[in-house]
Amino acid sequence: MNRFIRVLLLFSICFGNGPQETEPAKNPCADPVIAYARKHGVKAVPLKDLMHYYRTAKNCSKAGGEEVIQQIRLNEYTRDYRQSGTMAGWTSTHAVCVGVVIFYYFLGLLISSKPKSD
Amino acid sequence: MLITLFPLRGQPKISLDIGIGFYEPTMKGFDDNDLVPFPAGNFLTRNILWNVGAYYEFFSNARVGYNSLTSFDLGRLDGFETSQPVFYRTMRYRMFPLETFFRLRPKIELNFTLTPIWGRGKIILETKPSSGGSGGRTITDDWNDLFNSFGDEDPIEQVASDNNMKSDWFGYSGMIGIRYYTRPWLGLDLKAGFINNSYDKDRWRFQGKRVKGPDLTITDIPVFSLKLIYAFR
Repeated sequence: MNRFIRVLLLFSICFGNGPQETEPAKNPCADPVIAYARKHGVKAVPLKDLMHYYRTAKNCSKAGGEEVIQQIRLNEYTRDYRQSGTMAGWTSTHAVCVGVVIFYYFLGLLISSKPKSD
Repeated sequence: MLITLFPLRGQPKISLDIGIGFYEPTMKGFDDNDLVPFPAGNFLTRNILWNVGAYYEFFSNARVGYNSLTSFDLGRLDGFETSQPVFYRTMRYRMFPLETFFRLRPKIELNFTLTPIWGRGKIILETKPSSGGSGGRTITDDWNDLFNSFGDEDPIEQVASDNNMKSDWFGYSGMIGIRYYTRPWLGLDLKAGFINNSYDKDRWRFQGKRVKGPDLTITDIPVFSLKLIYAFR
């Protein structure tokens, strides 16, 4: 197996393709990951593409696309706000229960008096 | 474990958090111990709780998760003249919160947390096999001195290689928090509430044997936490 890998490496060094001509620099703001984030939000970007997104967003900002990145953030804030702006279903009951429990706990803490130790 | 349960590609609403908490327990068993001078308590070892957690947003206004608040103490027990063992103490409040929330503003969220607690206290003594030659102090003597200081009378005859005592207890906690998102996926979360624990000093275990532990008051105490949240969604 080792010999096979060595032969393969040797072949790839000897007969591999030469350096190809580099493509002209693309517009980072046109990257598909930016388009995906614009549509679905940064939090929807798969984990494996997150670092790529952050790099591309940085490059996009540098290339004059600061507004695009700001718009992505703004859209995401708006989407989150729309989704959880009001409490739905049972969640308001849960919140009220927590509020009442904590209110009575702190009220008890304020008005209770400690027994005097002799 | 929570992260592995859900596929990460299908917009999982997962967030990780790291931060600190503050509380004020009364640790009489360590601070007012006449027999063993434990390391002097300070703000870091008595009042600070190190906090890590992970949440999964299963509903537009609710999350469940795991949160661990841990208090550490570490030092040398100089009172044990010959062996001077190293002492470690951890108090871990493991929480399984149900958190509901809503956005007050696009960047500001109010959240309400109710959680059961599975607490665990652990004391480790790193002591020497035999100190002082023949007839000198042994590991067993060191441990028995520690137990005596908590009100137990020489409960151990021989110590095996395992060198820690543990206690588990249950409790609950309620908290109200406010979260500010500096980015859609990054936020600062401040919470205030209380923790209530059913800690019992007689329910410690050492090598399968029931022993007495330190006298601690961790019932009905206010708790505050400050966390940094990173959301994957």
